[in-house]
Amino acid sequence: MKQTFITSYKLKNTYRVNSIIYSIKQLPILKKYLSDSLYSNEGLKILANVISVFIEIIKTFLFKFLYIAIVIFGLSQVYDNPQALNFLHIFVFFTFIGAILNTFMFNPSKDKYYALVLMRMDAKSYTLTNYCYSLIQTFLGFLPFCIIFGLLAKLPLLITFSLPFFVIFSKVIFSAYTLIDFKKTKIAKNENLPSKIFWVIILILIVLALGLPYLKVTINLEIYLILFILLGFLAIKSLQIIKTFPFYKQMYKQLLNPQNVYVMSNANNVETIKQNVNKQIEFDASISSSKKGYAFFHELFIKRHRKILGKTIKKQMIYISIISIIGIIVTLTIPKTHKSINNIMMSSLPYFVFIMYLINRGQSITQAMFINCDHAMLSYKFYREPRVVLGIFKQRLKTLIGLNILPAFIIGITLVLLLYLSGGTNNILNYFVLFFSTICLSIFFSVHYLVMYYLLQPYNINTEIKSSTYKIVQFMTYFICYYMIELKLPTLYFGACAVIFCLLYSLISLIIIYRLAPKTFKIRL
Amino acid sequence: MKLVIKNLKKSFGDRVILKDINFEFEKGKIYGLLGRNGAGKTTLFNCLNEDLLIDEGTFYLEENNQKKKATDIGYVLSTPNVPEFLTAREFLEFFVTINKEKIKSLKTIDEYFDLVKISKNDQDKLLKDYSHGMKNKIQMLVNIIASPEILLLDEPLTSFDVVVAEEMKELLKSIKKDHILIFSTHIMELALDLCDEIVILNHQTLTKIDSKNLTEKEFKQKIIDDLKEEK
Repeated sequence: MKQTFITSYKLKNTYRVNSIIYSIKQLPILKKYLSDSLYSNEGLKILANVISVFIEIIKTFLFKFLYIAIVIFGLSQVYDNPQALNFLHIFVFFTFIGAILNTFMFNPSKDKYYALVLMRMDAKSYTLTNYCYSLIQTFLGFLPFCIIFGLLAKLPLLITFSLPFFVIFSKVIFSAYTLIDFKKTKIAKNENLPSKIFWVIILILIVLALGLPYLKVTINLEIYLILFILLGFLAIKSLQIIKTFPFYKQMYKQLLNPQNVYVMSNANNVETIKQNVNKQIEFDASISSSKKGYAFFHELFIKRHRKILGKTIKKQMIYISIISIIGIIVTLTIPKTHKSINNIMMSSLPYFVFIMYLINRGQSITQAMFINCDHAMLSYKFYREPRVVLGIFKQRLKTLIGLNILPAFIIGITLVLLLYLSGGTNNILNYFVLFFSTICLSIFFSVHYLVMYYLLQPYNINTEIKSSTYKIVQFMTYFICYYMIELKLPTLYFGACAVIFCLLYSLISLIIIYRLAPKTFKIRL
Repeated sequence: MKLVIKNLKKSFGDRVILKDINFEFEKGKIYGLLGRNGAGKTTLFNCLNEDLLIDEGTFYLEENNQKKKATDIGYVLSTPNVPEFLTAREFLEFFVTINKEKIKSLKTIDEYFDLVKISKNDQDKLLKDYSHGMKNKIQMLVNIIASPEILLLDEPLTSFDVVVAEEMKELLKSIKKDHILIFSTHIMELALDLCDEIVILNHQTLTKIDSKNLTEKEFKQKIIDDLKEEK
């Protein structure tokens, strides 16, 4: 058993270390000076190992910290009841949700795929040892923050100390239940794809967690203790079930099919990735195109990908319209809100940068463009000729802007209406700026995603993203947009700047595209 | 017309894949490129197709002592790449429209289908529902339509059933007089059967194997000896 764990841990660490080295190798500038022998370079291996340990520690502690601090502690301050009880109440119900959605055992992860399918390790000892490890990790991760934030919420020390145990008990019980269920049904549960019943249960748990405190009903210490003892007994029984369960091998055979593993992480299985994205192609014999050349090619691409293009945008527009109407009704009927809404319209335009970022579909569209189209077409030389690259780029840009601008239009109109209805402004320019900056932001994101795709073409032949520059740009985009949330600036100035920036950015990047795209737009080998 | 490669070099990091490639491929012949696994056949093709930048050297087309850049290249990959969201007919239509000026003797789409014997039922099916071999056929067809000066074929016949493979062989033989055809394969019998010249990629260089005064058996043995030979 010990040996199995050590072997599996080494395996996990080896590919983690190798992928860290791989990422280092992909960094611009640096990559020129690094050779293939890197993977056997001891110094670098140590560095990558340090990073790997660091990632493990972050995984253990950081997420638990954020979860307890923001979700549990944060929410416990919202309600009027004693904070200790809110904290306990939300913690208990969220723990149940976590037990269902975060089991370790039923997560078809890459580690398990490598160890059990590719390396044919013994399923039982692999599962038991790694399960224990994950439980210990969970426990250690929770312990400090449960105590710190529990005490801050004025829970007794002993209770705060019991909370991590409560988590472990719940997880173990749910896992044992799932194993029993597998014995009966012979269907392996995938924690990433819970069945409808579980979604309903999760929804009920969320309502209980957040709704009851609102009605001034919470779990009290007595109920918690009874629950704790009860779960404790069940957990002991469950551990026995987990320990003696004879069908791990059969279960993982089912669970670890490449498709499941792909849902979770980008397994290197080209076929599965292709299958998944291929499913997005819809074929209706009556749909064709009367256009010619690039326009023909592009139009058919759009028409056969309605699922991820038009339909998603339509859904977005419906949701945005509903929110807009609610906003307008609220403004019309509750005069008390006028001041704050007017304030938001006059100074929180930066916030809408983030909203525009969130609703832009550029990223998923460019991904589909690559996997279902360019991946194959780029191997043809004619497709890489400057006139073809730019011809198709133009078509794509038009569509991308055209699709994304529709929801932006609704948002723009809504903002103008809200400003007007909440008391308006002395400077009429504000209305224009509000509207045009929303439109410009939408255009900006469309241009941005497509330009990044054409300039950095991040995918390799296996449709994996292999450009760290692309990842950095993606992250920076997110980071900057997220930072905007906090920003409060007069709409007039910020909006005007945004409009100018978006137009300049689009113009400059299009000039760059015309110069460089024919060279940069190719498959990474 | 001939394709001249001079002092071509390519390495990945410290690993030298192609070292000093010097060779002339002539029009009207099918060259069989043989090499062991990992010898660099695909890398050589990727370099010629400009998918990869070469480190040193040059390659160009030469006709009547006139040199020009070798850009008119067709490349048939071992894993067929076709746009899966189009039907075979749509793909051919698109391809023909885009390349209209370059295609020498333009035929109708149906004539092209007949050329590689794709049945009526399959012509209007999405390429994503094509089998591996059928996709390969389409890929080959597109390259034959474009009629490039140089046609690189990377293990193209392995996915075809025996009947189609035979048809494709005949097709290649019928077009060879106007093209420079380089055909990479692992299968020696196929190379001997189809190709006019055998070229070996070994020790990062290209060598022509001379079959003069040799029986077929001796020729085969010579190829194997050459491929085995360690330096």
